[in-house]
Amino acid sequence: MVKMTQDGVRETDSKRVKVYILEDNEWKDTGTGFCVGKVGEIDVLTPVVGVRDEEPGSLAAYLVVNDEGSPDKTLLWSKLEGNIEYQRQEETLIVWKDLSGQDIALSFEESTGCDALCDFIIQIQQTTETNISLIAVRSNDDGMGSVHEIITGPVNLPSNEMEQDEKSLMDALKIFNENMAFEYLRTGTIDFVLKSAYLLTLIHIFENAESKHRLRELLLLSNIVKTLTLYNHRDVLEQMVDDEHIVGIVGILEYDTEFPLSKANHRDYLLQAGPHFKEVVPLKSEEIKTIMKKTYRLQFLKDVVLVRFLDDHTFSMISDVILDSQNCIIDFIQTEPFLQRVMSLFEIDTEMEKKRDGVRMLHQCVQITKNLEHAEKSRFFKALVRAGLFKIFDFAFSMETDSGIRILATDMVISIIEHDILLINTVQNEHLHQTGLMDQGQRQSDGTLTLAQSSASSDISLLSILSQILIADKNMGLKEQVVQALNTLLHPEGCMGIDSDYNEPGNMDIIMGSDDQPSNGSGENPVMNNLSLQMKEYFNNFYTQVAPILFGPLMKSGQNNSDEDILLIYLVKLVSFVAAEHSRLVSREFILEHNILANISKLIASPHILQLQLTAVRCLKGIVSLNDDIYHKHMISNNLYQPIFDLLRRNLHNDNMANSCLLDFFKTIASQSLRAKELCSGESMNFILLNKHLVENFREDLMAVSCVPFAQEMIRINDTEEEPHNWEISRNKKTTKDVVKRTFSEVSESLGSSTEVKEEEVTSTFKKAMEKLAAAPAPKSIGKDFLGNGT
Amino acid sequence: MKLDETIALLRQGKHVSEETVFELCLRAQELLMNEANVTHVDTPVTICGDIHGQLHDLLTLFDKSGGVENNKYIFLGDFVDRGFYSLESFLLLLTYKLRYPDRVTMIRGNHETRQITKVYGFYDEIVRKYGNSNVWRYCCEVFDYLSLGAIINGRVFCVHGGLSPDVTTINQIRAIDRKQEVPHEGAMCDLLWSDPDEVSTWSLSPRGAGFLFGKNEVDQFLHTNDFELIARAHQLVMEGYKEMFDGGLVTVWSAPNYCYRCGNVAAVLRIEDTLDRNYMIFEAVPAQDDVGNAIIPSKKPQMDYFL
Repeated sequence: MVKMTQDGVRETDSKRVKVYILEDNEWKDTGTGFCVGKVGEIDVLTPVVGVRDEEPGSLAAYLVVNDEGSPDKTLLWSKLEGNIEYQRQEETLIVWKDLSGQDIALSFEESTGCDALCDFIIQIQQTTETNISLIAVRSNDDGMGSVHEIITGPVNLPSNEMEQDEKSLMDALKIFNENMAFEYLRTGTIDFVLKSAYLLTLIHIFENAESKHRLRELLLLSNIVKTLTLYNHRDVLEQMVDDEHIVGIVGILEYDTEFPLSKANHRDYLLQAGPHFKEVVPLKSEEIKTIMKKTYRLQFLKDVVLVRFLDDHTFSMISDVILDSQNCIIDFIQTEPFLQRVMSLFEIDTEMEKKRDGVRMLHQCVQITKNLEHAEKSRFFKALVRAGLFKIFDFAFSMETDSGIRILATDMVISIIEHDILLINTVQNEHLHQTGLMDQGQRQSDGTLTLAQSSASSDISLLSILSQILIADKNMGLKEQVVQALNTLLHPEGCMGIDSDYNEPGNMDIIMGSDDQPSNGSGENPVMNNLSLQMKEYFNNFYTQVAPILFGPLMKSGQNNSDEDILLIYLVKLVSFVAAEHSRLVSREFILEHNILANISKLIASPHILQLQLTAVRCLKGIVSLNDDIYHKHMISNNLYQPIFDLLRRNLHNDNMANSCLLDFFKTIASQSLRAKELCSGESMNFILLNKHLVENFREDLMAVSCVPFAQEMIRINDTEEEPHNWEISRNKKTTKDVVKRTFSEVSESLGSSTEVKEEEVTSTFKKAMEKLAAAPAPKSIGKDFLGNGT
Repeated sequence: MKLDETIALLRQGKHVSEETVFELCLRAQELLMNEANVTHVDTPVTICGDIHGQLHDLLTLFDKSGGVENNKYIFLGDFVDRGFYSLESFLLLLTYKLRYPDRVTMIRGNHETRQITKVYGFYDEIVRKYGNSNVWRYCCEVFDYLSLGAIINGRVFCVHGGLSPDVTTINQIRAIDRKQEVPHEGAMCDLLWSDPDEVSTWSLSPRGAGFLFGKNEVDQFLHTNDFELIARAHQLVMEGYKEMFDGGLVTVWSAPNYCYRCGNVAAVLRIEDTLDRNYMIFEAVPAQDDVGNAIIPSKKPQMDYFL
């Protein structure tokens, strides 16, 4: 028996199978036997239905089943021909209708048997009988309906003729749409597009159609290209943006069925009007230039040309390609001496505009790292700092006068410190260690040293420069950015370092843990101790050297004019921030010593803008919520709340933001006082005392607040307060931990029935709100008190 | 600052300088601070739903509904994100408000936050248009000042998302210091995030913020506050608007062909002096520039590039 045919199709092994035919709508079992797929000369004796166009003697493929009982008896002799569609149903069935119209089914004993015959059908389809097809049919997971998938079959392809008319383009569009539905057809279509230079054909037809103003053809072409993008194939997409295709492709996409009367101007933009590729220092690699252009063009495609059309899949595919290219670019910049050459622009006497372009370029580098992975980012930022990033800051913050460039430089600082606050200083530090320049004297710099000269993790020159910009610069955008940078630089958690390159995970806890917990063994880690010391020094330096300048405007009493109001808003917010986040001991000492809260309290008055007045109220509210004895005493004894009630009087009958801000303040005090009473704990004594102070001094004002119950609540809480000695007793009896949370009404009852507030006046939602607040943890003293260790 | 000039620039989608935006935002803050968390508005007034940066559709909205020169409008939020002209849309409404303070009421939507705009387009749009994010910061600061709701003639409650289990009466909203980033839970969050649904009581929202609420909650809220309608936005409605719960609640959607591809129509709701409801449906129309040439909405391409 001939095993191999001239086409290289191998005859299959025989597989046990049952043969069925459909008669009168019923499947009839015609016997069991062994099935082979075989290729042989056309048997003239075989009955042939339909047209026979083969020459006798030519080869044809058959599915043949011989009876297992009597091998001479042929149960089935069926030719693979014409456009027969074979269906593989589930694992073991092959079903088809032959050209005579007879429905035939083969039921295999084993799925491997079915596999073998299906492979045979696929081979035949791909060699001699290209019009037959094999479809897999599986029932859905839910058992309802079925899923069809083409395994093999003819792929209908569009014409690749250079001259085409509306009809053939319409056909092409139809074919592309149809072929998209099945993976098999998609693959075939993509193969065709890539291997037969189909895009160039389209561009040729396009140029022709455009010169003859054939709008309908132009719109069809545009739809064809758009449909091709939805195939979501990387190679096709990359071909679209290469030098040979890009102009033609975006030209085609200038036409849009949605806007048939207008045309975009993508080609103009790319060729003339738009940005040209700039080289600040010459790029020596053509390859990288190509990648850069590709990246830009893909972005243009994604953001402009196709922006209204892309589905999520294609969008993310394009984004992925862009990301890969960006990775290449960032890699290139680091490995070549490229970065050094850019940095050298800032050393020599380069013309100003060249330096500015250098800043712009580096800013763009930093921008594209936004999408990179953490480690990649770290690597790049370190390379930047090592190459001398600080020269750029020196340029931007001293020589440069253009706000735009300074904003870009600040933006870079923000990106880097938000990524890893320690990175800049640590890399500088490592550099100085290497060259043995670690000099204590330099670190004590008063700001006259340039950044590039300064050193060490405890270095505060960046803080100092930024602070001076905030205070002195007139540009609002720059101020806005500087505040963000300061917030990041002053964030103690950030300062503890997240970058695992420097620290083991969990170091934060070790540093946060205070010296009075020696049992955890943290003291044995010299690196961490060193870091912890540096952090202490860093913040101490901030409070001794930078803070007096930064907060200067808040340290003068009553001399602020309203021109400074915007700056004061930033500063007051910063005070709220450092009071809440920094070591209580250090920040509080600074804030109280310089009388900052009293000055903030004075801002709650005209002529300051209302935004500032309310920022000041919120700052005081934030300090109150810290539940800090010393702050509370300070604010009560200095009567810092007076301006808040002046503000209340001015806004008592206005339903506006000032009014709401004050109501919220009263809500906080009422709920915290209530909580304190409920717990009978000293922890919240501050609020009881504050409540007492406010009710005693401003009872009339509180009485006047009628639209919400909180102010009356404050009065009621105060008026029903027990005698102080009872407090002491109850405090001994109960501790915070064993108090079970109770509802507001229960608490109210327990506070005595003498209350004048009727139960009905307190709405159920208010009760709920109170419950919520009571259930919330009390504002705890800051756990991250690492600067105040051991106190 | 010359408001009319800025309005003309914005209507054409042209660049407005960073300094102008800053000043505009500062002045808008002053105006917004004098508004209540829930402001009161009189009829007749036109209620508008989500805009989502579709500047040209916003212009159509004004054209078809009479214009801000002669009519009062309440915008239910979501001015930014998704569309390509978030900045122009938001600033146009803001300048209109400065120019005609009693004619425009702007309510905060769930997209008017720093966190959401960083993800859904507004932030990127600003960086693309200005090369840095300062203008985004100025706008976000204004977001914090926007009202949380409005009441028309004491009878119609307007809000972006819906109800909150923490809010039974309007005074409870009053005691919120709204100048903050929208929290992840609580009354302020719910008002901006909740959705009506066929549920028997407060239910978890698939959005991960806010709640689902049903007819019971709506009926009770209307009864307690003596309202007859809750007008809200927040959800795409293919027909532009959808009444629910026997007409006790309506969703209004004002971004036609949402995201330039959803194929929906848009609507605004005019509340007459009689409190009659008149819906005006409009479709997306091809955008035009100042001299009538058609323009295709798209993002502004990236600026100079070095990489």
